Amino acid sequence: MIIYTPLSKEDIFYTSQEYTERQMISYNGKPLYCEKRADGSLEIVKLLSTDPKDFLNHEFSPGTIISQMNEN
Amino acid sequence: MDKQPEKKGDQTQDNNSSALVQKIQQLGQSNVPQAPDSNIHVLSIIGQVEGHVQLPPQNKTTKYEHLLPQLVAIEQNPKIEGLVILLNTVGGDVEAGLALSEMITSISKPTVSIVLGGGHSIGVPIAVATDYSFIAPTATMTIHPIRLTGLVIGVPQTFEYLDEMQNRVVDFVVNHSNITEEKFKDLMFAKGNLTRDIGTNVVGKAAVEYGLIDGVGGVKEAMKKINELIKQNGDHEQQVMQ
Repeated sequence: MIIYTPLSKEDIFYTSQEYTERQMISYNGKPLYCEKRADGSLEIVKLLSTDPKDFLNHEFSPGTIISQMNEN
Repeated sequence: MDKQPEKKGDQTQDNNSSALVQKIQQLGQSNVPQAPDSNIHVLSIIGQVEGHVQLPPQNKTTKYEHLLPQLVAIEQNPKIEGLVILLNTVGGDVEAGLALSEMITSISKPTVSIVLGGGHSIGVPIAVATDYSFIAPTATMTIHPIRLTGLVIGVPQTFEYLDEMQNRVVDFVVNHSNITEEKFKDLMFAKGNLTRDIGTNVVGKAAVEYGLIDGVGGVKEAMKKINELIKQNGDHEQQVMQ
């Protein structure tokens, strides 16, 4: 791996923090990047769609909690 | 017999109202704004470009494995006529960045990029990969040699290996923008511009003067340009059909 960036190595790899449980899911046909919460539900971290219209849809806004049941 | 359909109707109503309550609880509102289908799609490349190795979670990253299938989908979908790429990146994995650049440059539909804030290091080839590139007047691009590597091998080999990696980036940028190889390398190895490193920090207008980026501008200019390119593309297709 070669990283090409003006940041120093320490800025990128500065802790041995555990990776949080993040995963990519498809929700209502849109790709989302989610973080698993303690109760098993998912919190939206990032919407990965390229359709600008989807970003107006509050259903996909970051911070929204979706239950595992709704995942499809 | 009469009761059954009635019961069914009640159930759907219950389901609907519970979905509505859930929506109000989560969003504080019951309706979502509707906009007409957009013929232009937007791809944002923000933070580190993440490649083969998952970076620690404090980094904001754009994962290239998420973007590649989206680029294929954009190429394939006849309803999408153009693509705008928003860049605010501090660089990242060379292979992933070059993969994205090659994908963007090989899309048959019109593409326009806007560098906002920063398009550093591996952000440079991504920015120039589009048909037309814009840079915001305050945005910067840092051009510097490649140094960070996970490989630990002998010094002369490391040097040559990095040099080769660097040439891939230089070649791509030179082939896809109006900057000359000589000028780009001059900027890359300039002394005195960056405090602890060799290289140059190129701001908005200067990037255009060096021929690296096509124009200074933001959303307005980018949308105007992409609509112009879409129109040209349409005219060309019509000519071919005739």
